[in-house]
Amino acid sequence: MRTDELIGVLAGAAEPIPPGRVRGRLLLACVAGVLGAAALVFGILGFKHDFPQVMLTAPFWMKPAYTTWFAVGAFMLVDRAGRPGAKATTGRLVLAGALAAIACLAAINLALSPPGMRMHAMMGLSARLCPIAIIVSAIPALVAVLIVLRGMAPTRLTRAGMAAGLLAGGVGASVYALWCRESTAAFVAIWYTLGIVACGGIGALLGPLVLRW
Amino acid sequence: MLRGLAGEANAHGELLTLMSRYLRGYFGRRLGAGTADMEDLVQDTLLAIHLKRETYDPTQPFTPWAYMLARYKLLDHFRRQGARTMVVLEDAGELFATENPEEGAVRRDLGKLLGALPAKQSQLLRDVKLTGLSMEEAAAKSGMSVSAVKVSVHRGLKSMAKRVRDADG
Repeated sequence: MRTDELIGVLAGAAEPIPPGRVRGRLLLACVAGVLGAAALVFGILGFKHDFPQVMLTAPFWMKPAYTTWFAVGAFMLVDRAGRPGAKATTGRLVLAGALAAIACLAAINLALSPPGMRMHAMMGLSARLCPIAIIVSAIPALVAVLIVLRGMAPTRLTRAGMAAGLLAGGVGASVYALWCRESTAAFVAIWYTLGIVACGGIGALLGPLVLRW
Repeated sequence: MLRGLAGEANAHGELLTLMSRYLRGYFGRRLGAGTADMEDLVQDTLLAIHLKRETYDPTQPFTPWAYMLARYKLLDHFRRQGARTMVVLEDAGELFATENPEEGAVRRDLGKLLGALPAKQSQLLRDVKLTGLSMEEAAAKSGMSVSAVKVSVHRGLKSMAKRVRDADG
């Protein structure tokens, strides 16, 4: 086909694009990820009966607050990664803010706990389970986000995959946090972050393989 | 672009026509002008601009967006070819350089020929033949008399012509 014919055809197919359509799809992927993670976490690990009581305590909400904050930053990164040539400064700042906040809380946490309790504050009772549980919880969100991202126009596939992984990790961790019974900031700073970053690494590996369009 | 996003077919078509010209320059310089690959890539990228137009964020500049699409298509092309070609990360401005590759080649050759002349003479030739100053303006600019400018330009052209003939023969 000649190029000007192609242009004619494409111009004829110029139906209007509602603003924010892409972002809406990305948000939908996150919702799907939350539902999928909830099914996995509560399906495999089961409900806990103390749910109403712990819901009233502040440390309980610290974890989802941190991971949701993280997910918001990663959401901005993914949104930018799917748009060629766009700058991702805000997303990075939000991510850095989340990390700085949890690091501060962890430092205060460790400083205030008696020396004998510091190791316990960091390791909790589920240090081994936590990162793995977060990675598993992140799988539905990772799949959904990668599908949406592929429909966008990522041009740096490793970076885009990493952003998708971080977002999925943040979403998965936010759901897992509702089940998790650790309550020290030091634990969250180490093991939650580790789980989420591992998801980012998985995403970075998958990116070049699955994000081509 | 914005009007194309709003669904105005004319504006969308105009944008694509304009982009096809820039893209032909961009791919032409990298693959050789007029090759089938180049025209394929131009069409590929136009299609991508059309299909992926919803990923253009109106709060961001348009040029880097289009440039990255073109670059992605180019890298994709090299990857499929299996060619280990290095692609330097150029700045986005280059996509919008208006000259086509032939013009670039001509300009380079001309620059070489002019460079071989004495500085004053090549400056006169540039002023008169390329910039389009009149003999009088060139004379005023260089501080020479009008007739001296005429002679110098004439001799300059002659020696350039001789150089080209020698190079060809």
